[in-house]
Amino acid sequence: MTQTLARRAGTVLTGIALGVTPLAAQQGAGAAPADGWNGAGALSIPVPPAAKLVAITHATILTASHGTITDGTIVIRDGKIAAVGSGVPVPAGAQVIDATGKFVTPGIIDAHSHSSLQGINEMSSSVTSQVRIEDAFREDGLTLYRQLAGGVTAANVLHGSANTIGGQNLTVKMRFGLPVDSMKYDKAPPGIKFALGENVRQTNNPPQPGRPLRYPHTRMGVEELLRDSFTRAREYQQEWKAYDKAKAAWKHGQPEPIPPARDVQLDPLVEVLEGTRLVHAHSYRADEILMLLHVAKDFGFRIASLQHVLEGYKVADEIAAANTGASTFADEWAYKLEAWDAIAFNPSLMAERGVRVTVNSDSDERARRLYQDAAKAMHYGNTSEEEALKMITLNAAWQLGIDKYTGSIDVGKDADIAIFTAHPFSPQARVDMTLVDGRVFFDRRTAPTLEAVLQSLRHTRAAMGGGAE
Amino acid sequence: MMPRALLLRLAAAAAVAAPLGAQITPGAPKPADAYVIRNATIVPVTGPRITGGSVVLSKGRIAAVGASVDTPPGATVIDGTGMFVYPGLIDSGTRLGLTEIGSVPGGDDLVEVGPFNPHDVALTAVNPHSEHIAVSRYNGITSVLTAPTGGIIAGTASLIDLSGWTGDQMAVKRQAALVVNYPRIGGGRGGRGGRFGGEALDPAIAVTELHEYFARAKAYSDVKTKLAAGQPGTQRTDLAMEAMVPFVRGELPVVFDAETAAQIRGALGLADEFKLKPVIRGAAEAWRLADTLAARKVPVVVGPTYREPDASSAYDEIYANPGVLVKAGVQIAFQTTGASDVRDLPFQVGITEGFGLAPDDALRAVTINAARIWGVGDQLGSIETGKVANLFVSTGDPMDPRSHVKYLFIRGEQVPLVDRQTKFYEEFRARPKPPKP
Repeated sequence: MTQTLARRAGTVLTGIALGVTPLAAQQGAGAAPADGWNGAGALSIPVPPAAKLVAITHATILTASHGTITDGTIVIRDGKIAAVGSGVPVPAGAQVIDATGKFVTPGIIDAHSHSSLQGINEMSSSVTSQVRIEDAFREDGLTLYRQLAGGVTAANVLHGSANTIGGQNLTVKMRFGLPVDSMKYDKAPPGIKFALGENVRQTNNPPQPGRPLRYPHTRMGVEELLRDSFTRAREYQQEWKAYDKAKAAWKHGQPEPIPPARDVQLDPLVEVLEGTRLVHAHSYRADEILMLLHVAKDFGFRIASLQHVLEGYKVADEIAAANTGASTFADEWAYKLEAWDAIAFNPSLMAERGVRVTVNSDSDERARRLYQDAAKAMHYGNTSEEEALKMITLNAAWQLGIDKYTGSIDVGKDADIAIFTAHPFSPQARVDMTLVDGRVFFDRRTAPTLEAVLQSLRHTRAAMGGGAE
Repeated sequence: MMPRALLLRLAAAAAVAAPLGAQITPGAPKPADAYVIRNATIVPVTGPRITGGSVVLSKGRIAAVGASVDTPPGATVIDGTGMFVYPGLIDSGTRLGLTEIGSVPGGDDLVEVGPFNPHDVALTAVNPHSEHIAVSRYNGITSVLTAPTGGIIAGTASLIDLSGWTGDQMAVKRQAALVVNYPRIGGGRGGRGGRFGGEALDPAIAVTELHEYFARAKAYSDVKTKLAAGQPGTQRTDLAMEAMVPFVRGELPVVFDAETAAQIRGALGLADEFKLKPVIRGAAEAWRLADTLAARKVPVVVGPTYREPDASSAYDEIYANPGVLVKAGVQIAFQTTGASDVRDLPFQVGITEGFGLAPDDALRAVTINAARIWGVGDQLGSIETGKVANLFVSTGDPMDPRSHVKYLFIRGEQVPLVDRQTKFYEEFRARPKPPKP
């Protein structure tokens, strides 16, 4: 069945598009990213090729998995972490990054992003599982560079929240400057966006004049639509199972079994039922959170993450029992009625009850300062330093199904790393360098900072005989 | 809704004070006559830090500060060991009290009809029981400038303390500043500087109209002066013009919400023409004019820093701007422009420290600088004998999210750090584990 599905999924990939032809596709899919070419060209930001062997030395290392290492060394070989610890020898020939006085963390993973998209919501229906957000993704969005400058190395790029069952997500690594195919994180399992509450009911996405109201318009209707969709998906799955069985038993000379009609909308939902596609569900109120957990339980699948989940603190035990992650804001609230009971203690309280919590951005702006938003979990509710760091690293990797490969500073993982000038939770923190797979994609020394702009202005004015404002 | 046991706990936590004096904050215990915070590090802002110091609060004022002070008899003693005492933080641009839930228009008093509304005074519509007030106090904010946002002249901002049963009790200055959305020609940057409250005015025309409006106000004010001096004549009262008088006479500051260098230059030109007392606010591109602003001694309110720079700007423009301004000698303060997010003020300041704003300058910006800009530098913004006792006790630097505010005082009264969010937190933290299904 899995193979059959994979074959079918392959057909879906070419069948659906949002009218965007990714640049990489134009250049020929699978073409090796040529060093020296980068989408940051307009900014004149050099992205030097990855060194084969890198050593970050004399750093305070916040591992997110096994505490803090002082005066530590990280050895990176071929983009993977080869050694971590204090007293680890620097291998001969390694490119050394001296991090004396600096703090090193795993690269930040944003568990909820809509960055660099040319379309976020396919609004025509409340079920759009056939839509793929990667068809709307641009690899050269300036925001991606600015997020690297905030230490972000990966993101869960999601469809919007207009639909009960939205489109398929895209997990990217911030290899900004490389063609789009190189940004897609191929180790990440596929996912899909669900949404509940006000946005789906269109109370915050009001229909345009002359257009009829779209079903559903109540929270009861949202549940009905979910159950209807998964009932259809289950029957479709059974049809294919019956067909596969009949096809396997078929012998020449007998009437050949006819395959069921393809349904590109139900294919991804079958993957959800089979546990191969992760569900990331936009939700606010405790009642709708429980409704979704009940629906998932009844159909035998798991919700990978509840997104926003602002009232998650009210039902934290139920979320933990469902082995579901919670991906929330640090302190956003009161922007709409369903955000009125939101509390800044939400991340702490859910974590206290055993939920794997992430602090996400859902915004190009917040994505640049997630390190500060994570620190707020220490402020509101006394989350420990390591737990707060996990909320933007390891827990996000877990929610996206990539925690075996990234999210902490451990041997064997991808060298996705942020280097800060000061403790990342202190006001003096600023990102000095961001590495993805051991390659330096952001370096403050070569970045177009305001200071660099000021210096260039001063030079120009001096050359022209003064005239400073 | 709230369990009785929890209510009792909250009440017990809040009950520090003896029942004397006039209570100014709903939900607060009856104030004590006097408090003394002992053995803390005092950060007066206008003077050096005092380690192992004490502060005495009496009758709403700071009665004494120092390494050794006399404790008034009957004073409530707060042990400040290992903690720090800071002046209350001041947010120099908010919508606090004028909006409650973003998507619910019924709770929104931000935008009046028409481009010129100088006689709309924020305090009139400030809801003293807005949930956002207590939530803001949680992080050490004790005073804010609050104002409507629409049109070209949005209205008159009020400076309020975050405590009081009524707006009048909260008011520090009912008329604190005139708020002008300086029109932005050529589009581009978002933010307050470009909003016209539903008025579809071309920005160039808006600039002309703004000049004409100030010219009218100046003329009105001049006639008023002449009549007062005994010159014969009459003048019909115009309430909007009356509201403009203290501003065109240079008695009170005029805030120009302006982001681009062009807007800022335009605002400075207008201030010159009418001899106004300008404050530039928003000011994303103020760094381009840092030397000019410093030389002219024009204060700049930066923020919110929780926003993105323009696409053509440096990636760190918003974060690095405050540090550049201070190095050039500009007096800066900060604004969040918030209601629900005023509590982020210290963190919005803090995020800029990594980008060149020194910690002491950061603290000064949201205390004494703000107080001076709004004309209450002799009352607020530092811990000095005789000043109003707006201060808080914290485990560390308030700009550092790892710190916690433990005690907060407004006008000498201890205000419990309890709000809608802490109540939900305590309540659901105590929720029993549900039975296994």
